[in-house]
Amino acid sequence: MSDHTLDKLPGGFKGMATDMGSDQTVFKGVNWGKAMMWIFLLSDTFIFSCFLISYMKVRASVVDEWPYPSEVFALNFMGVPVPLLLIAIMTFVLITSSGTMALAVKYGYERNRKMCGWLILATALGGLTFVGMQAFEWSKLIHEGVRPWTNPFGAPQFGSFFFMITGFHGTHVSIGVIFLFIFARKTFRGDFDAGKRGFFTSMKSDYVAIEIMGLYWHFVDLVWVFIFAFFYLW
Amino acid sequence: MHAGFIFLAVIVGSILFHVFTPWWWTDIASNWGAMDDTIVLTFWIGGGVFIAVCLFMIYCVFKFSYKEGRKVEYKPEDNKLEIILTVVTTLGVAALLAPGLIVWNQYINTPPNAINIEVMARQWGWQYRLPGEDGKLGTSNIVNINDQNPFGINLDDQNGRDDILIQSDELHLKTNRPVKILLRSTDVLHNFYVPQFRAKMDAVPGLITYYWFEPNKEGDYEVLCAEYCGIGHYGMRAKVVVDNEENYEKWLEQQETFSDFIATLNGKEIKKIKLAKINNLNE
Amino acid sequence: MSDDFYKNKTSIEAQPSRTISDSSGSVSDIDYVKPAEVSDQDLYHGHSFITKWIFCQDAKVIGIQYTLTAVFTGIIGLILSWLMRLQLGFPELVPFITAEHYYQFVTMHGMIMVVYFLTALFLGGFGNYLIPLMTGARDMVFPYVNMVSYWMFFVAVLVLMASFFVPGGPTGSGWTLYPPQAILEGTPGSGAGIILMLVSLALFVVGFTMGGLNYVITILQARTRGMTLMRMPLTVWGIFTATVLALLAFPALFVSVIMMSLDRILGTSFFMPTILKAGEILEYGGGSPVLFQHLFWFFGHPEVYIVALPAFGIVSDLISVHSRKNIFGYRMMVWAIVAIGALSFFVWAHHMYVSGMNPWFGFFFATTTLIIAVPTALKVYNWVLTLWRGNIRMTTVMLFCLGFIVTFVNGGITGIFLGNVIVDIPLSDTYFVVAHFHMVMGIAPLMVIFGAIYHWFPLVTGRLLDEKLGKWHFWFSFLGAYSIYFPMHYLGFIGVPRRYFEMYDSPYITSAVGLNQSITIAALIVGLSQFIFIFNIVKSLRMGKPAGKNPWKANSLEWQTPNVPPAHGNWGDKLPVVYRWPYDFNVPGAKEDYIPQTTPPSEVLEAKVEKT
Repeated sequence: MSDHTLDKLPGGFKGMATDMGSDQTVFKGVNWGKAMMWIFLLSDTFIFSCFLISYMKVRASVVDEWPYPSEVFALNFMGVPVPLLLIAIMTFVLITSSGTMALAVKYGYERNRKMCGWLILATALGGLTFVGMQAFEWSKLIHEGVRPWTNPFGAPQFGSFFFMITGFHGTHVSIGVIFLFIFARKTFRGDFDAGKRGFFTSMKSDYVAIEIMGLYWHFVDLVWVFIFAFFYLW
Repeated sequence: MHAGFIFLAVIVGSILFHVFTPWWWTDIASNWGAMDDTIVLTFWIGGGVFIAVCLFMIYCVFKFSYKEGRKVEYKPEDNKLEIILTVVTTLGVAALLAPGLIVWNQYINTPPNAINIEVMARQWGWQYRLPGEDGKLGTSNIVNINDQNPFGINLDDQNGRDDILIQSDELHLKTNRPVKILLRSTDVLHNFYVPQFRAKMDAVPGLITYYWFEPNKEGDYEVLCAEYCGIGHYGMRAKVVVDNEENYEKWLEQQETFSDFIATLNGKEIKKIKLAKINNLNE
Repeated sequence: MSDDFYKNKTSIEAQPSRTISDSSGSVSDIDYVKPAEVSDQDLYHGHSFITKWIFCQDAKVIGIQYTLTAVFTGIIGLILSWLMRLQLGFPELVPFITAEHYYQFVTMHGMIMVVYFLTALFLGGFGNYLIPLMTGARDMVFPYVNMVSYWMFFVAVLVLMASFFVPGGPTGSGWTLYPPQAILEGTPGSGAGIILMLVSLALFVVGFTMGGLNYVITILQARTRGMTLMRMPLTVWGIFTATVLALLAFPALFVSVIMMSLDRILGTSFFMPTILKAGEILEYGGGSPVLFQHLFWFFGHPEVYIVALPAFGIVSDLISVHSRKNIFGYRMMVWAIVAIGALSFFVWAHHMYVSGMNPWFGFFFATTTLIIAVPTALKVYNWVLTLWRGNIRMTTVMLFCLGFIVTFVNGGITGIFLGNVIVDIPLSDTYFVVAHFHMVMGIAPLMVIFGAIYHWFPLVTGRLLDEKLGKWHFWFSFLGAYSIYFPMHYLGFIGVPRRYFEMYDSPYITSAVGLNQSITIAALIVGLSQFIFIFNIVKSLRMGKPAGKNPWKANSLEWQTPNVPPAHGNWGDKLPVVYRWPYDFNVPGAKEDYIPQTTPPSEVLEAKVEKT
């Protein structure tokens, strides 16, 4: 069917406005679920931005000295304190899991059930490893006396922000891991191929769900990069 | 139809209420008449818009009430009119903002000859500290506050020794002398507000905030806390007395400095120890 | 003046598009509309009572659920306001209202009205019911999540109400929840009350994010054929922009709530500086109370626009239909809504002029605040210009629109007073502020809510509300509310501070005793007169005049459904096709004084339509 409106679009800004304002959809060809995830991630970005900006404000204004992250987060490797070793590994794991996720999306659209399923599992395991390492870091610091309300290294807000921000991020990762396991099962069972109706939502399953999950996972990864930069490196 | 009359009555009533209101601002007792002037300007411009829009609306209600077959104007847009209205509104807004910001600039820039006065707020009362002969307030820290040091003045800071401590809630000011109020709080948010002076600012624990004014009318003025601070907020009152030079000096002489305060305490301490010794001997 | 308003008119059916192509391949067709880009929505159909009326995924049912819950909380907020006014007007009469109780009433009244009543009603109530209908969709894009969003709101309300019953009672920190006082002894409810408030707000934010995503994406991606963005009614534009604001502003509230909860429960010091209380230095230290204020008002200012923008959109449609004239300057109205929404993120610190923040911020925020007055004023001009040369039906709906204009302009102007930083200095934290925000956020949007209910009741129930009772309801409410809040500004001019339980014997404040008493009496009368409205609704549900289809002869899609009230799926077998904007009233040459959006051009060839 010839698309009359696109043929008649004027050039420049007016054309873009006409296209965006045209009937039915603003974002042509974008699945509604994907659009919803993008907007949700925008909102979630504001949450983490508020956390990080508050952190920067408080750090700039506390009277007590702020601990040196590279010292606090150093790991003792064979008697040598290696600064930031643990989070370097955590960052590597999380970024790699974003890679496996992207591959899973590709195989999903190619309807390659096995490859897609295994890659989703790999992503989930990466996420699980990340959370495990985060839990280890928490236990190490708690053992050294870091609490939300005080710590032996400097300003008490250091511990407060550390536990709050990494806690929120870790929760996001954990929720992602749960969904990834669910999606891995659905993939292996062939739910996405068959368009099986969801247990809760009663909506037909489709491989676009894996892309939507991928968006969430990349977001979680990106937030970690910012936390890593602002909290650990700075 | 008669709806229009009732709306008209509301507008006329509002104007009359404003003209004849017995409830109007207190007589100003400070230099901040410019705030009042800006409010009057806002009344003219804003009030004018309110009356004009409402009268236009009422006119439409009368003139265009429903008639079968009435010829209605079909005009989706009138860009020229919209632009004119936008420009006029922007000018009106600028006419308010410009003088307002000029006066704000005066408010935040304290004159160099202003005397610093510390107002310390706590749940639920006020205390004051004047800089004394050296003109400087000693530094302080909330953790130093105790019975021997009610303002938490740093003992090593020599500037604090001659600070005048006023532990009653009555502050005296000299007329026609600008003061910079330095606000402190030891617990929660408060706000030192005297309506006749017009100026106010929150007292924030952990910060020192400020505002300045110049009292220019002798009299007694009530202080009202103007930031909700808990159950005693409405009772957190105090008094500011604006004196002429003579009365002010008389009052100032009766106040004690920090050194006096310590000395009196020490005196009491020595008396206590002596008494205890005597009592011990007697047993 | 014959009133044929209630005669049944034949509906104009939507025609499918016709394509005529000649041999050269070029297409000429005045009724052409782009074909469907996505397949028709596959809806879940509930079959049991529970899945049809309780855990129902139909946005219309969800909208009614939101409305009923929000109105319930609003009634509680109203009762709290009576108790507050009794104490302020006649303190000797009500010794059972202690200072502690008074501050708890103040706080709960404020939080309920702003968040749980107005926001929930406009976005959850009107948004859910009207968005799919006005855009030509069958339902929201993700009905399951939409349903969960209502139940999260329900749980949030339960948690909030539970705070009335815990030891210490609900929080009495003021709806603004400022630290350090909110979580310290000396403020009522600093025990369990504040914790429940914070939990309730967090739940509310999560629920409204779920709902908000639905509203936004349905409007962006699920409109019917022919429904371009610039053919959407202003109601949709208002709710859409408000939802975008909500999605971006609630995060700041959420973060401040989390941080305050940690300060209260774990003893962290995000907002808590060193504090001396009852002779002891508390365990806190290093935190910043002003940081909370920045976070809270970064949410708080867009929040008032989240309440105001849907009201702006709705009132535009009500004025247009009931004056039989297109809304004046539709395009500018859209841009004004979007501009106000965007600017609302840059004005928050005008709530903080006396907070002790850096005084240089005052210049910036006073400027942005006064700039935002310009698009707002433009909307006001366009509303009254819509009345100009119209054909105004003095229905109850129109009366509420007129009441909105008067109260909104009044409240908006007093906002200009307060936005100009130097004028805010003497007036901040006085009754001038209380009068301002009640006028502009309480009365004006409430006028729109009432008008909207009288307008859409016939669609939702198939019956009309009684006009006579409606007019009594209007005059009591409008005149009563105006007599409460207009004089209250003058209490602020005297200098009476807000959040005062008692005025004591201040020499000039006692002069206002009479004023306080008359305000209280007016408040009680207005409160009681709402029973006229409730009686009208209950009576009309059973015995109201049957409305038939499209009794107001409106153009927008919600009135063109095959069933009244609209059934599940809204449109029957065929989705509607839209050919024009919703404001083709009194088009020269047209037979009727209205042309519904679904009427193709070929059926009104004689009409000289200028805008589509």
